[in-house]
Amino acid sequence: MTILGIMQWLEASPAANAMNGPEWAFPLVESLHFIGFAFLIGTIAIVDLRLLGLGMRRQPAAQLESDLRPWTWAGLAIMLITGPLMFSADATRYYVNPSFRIKITCLAIAIVYNFTLHHMAARSEKPGAAGILAACVSLLLWSSVLGAGRMIAFV
Amino acid sequence: MLLSFCQWLQETDVSVAIREGALLYPIIGGIHLLAIALFGGMVLASDVRMLGWGMRRESITDLIGQLRVWKWIGGVVVVVTGLLLAWCEPIKLYHSRSFWIKMTLLALVGVHALIFHRSVYGSTAAPDTSRAKLAGFLSLLLWAGIVFSGRLIAFDS
Repeated sequence: MTILGIMQWLEASPAANAMNGPEWAFPLVESLHFIGFAFLIGTIAIVDLRLLGLGMRRQPAAQLESDLRPWTWAGLAIMLITGPLMFSADATRYYVNPSFRIKITCLAIAIVYNFTLHHMAARSEKPGAAGILAACVSLLLWSSVLGAGRMIAFV
Repeated sequence: MLLSFCQWLQETDVSVAIREGALLYPIIGGIHLLAIALFGGMVLASDVRMLGWGMRRESITDLIGQLRVWKWIGGVVVVVTGLLLAWCEPIKLYHSRSFWIKMTLLALVGVHALIFHRSVYGSTAAPDTSRAKLAGFLSLLLWAGIVFSGRLIAFDS
């Protein structure tokens, strides 16, 4: 099956039909997507602010990271359900959208980064300069995901 | 009266610039989203803690106190970018039911703050658990409603 074939199959799937059905379906899923990223990116941002020494200084970054982790995961789970649902509603158009491609690339990097290098930096005993670098990269990556995501509707 | 104000607002240079500049609207929209992630994250983390669903190692008072600065920074950016976005299409918003629902819910957030400020948010002693739970639950509900009604504005005909 070609990629175009997969996209067309997606657009005819029950998920897509539901998304393109009642007019409140898309905005509802999109709202959940927003709440999901507030969980995902918001909790990561709290750890980043701690690594930068700009907030939550009474706890070590490692403690914050482990306490917030379930909610970061919850946010990610919401994103990975609502995102593909919205995608299915108009798969072929999204697939060729340059902003969408940039977003997905940044997203893939950001997710892998968050659970590897960022995780190691936040958990290390004295994050220091490495922690600052890790936080900056993290904030930059997630901002790119959001920014490119917003641009999808405009290109 | 309000409508004629909206009509005047829509003719101002700033309104025209945001509406007609190709990049201005998505850039402001993007910053609005970034600030929602920051502000929303702080609100959600506080709510989750107040509900006792997570971050139990931190006390409610301590967590809210430490997040306050960033909640304010995020909140101010959300409001400023939101006003700019509203500035470019005031007549549409005037006729949008979702917009007025969103504004009503935002006003209720103010009421929520008035009700719970003394006993939960601004309290120096550990707040009453059930009262904190109620505050956290209502806050979650209000903000979810604000996100949804806000998103619906774009779909209003």
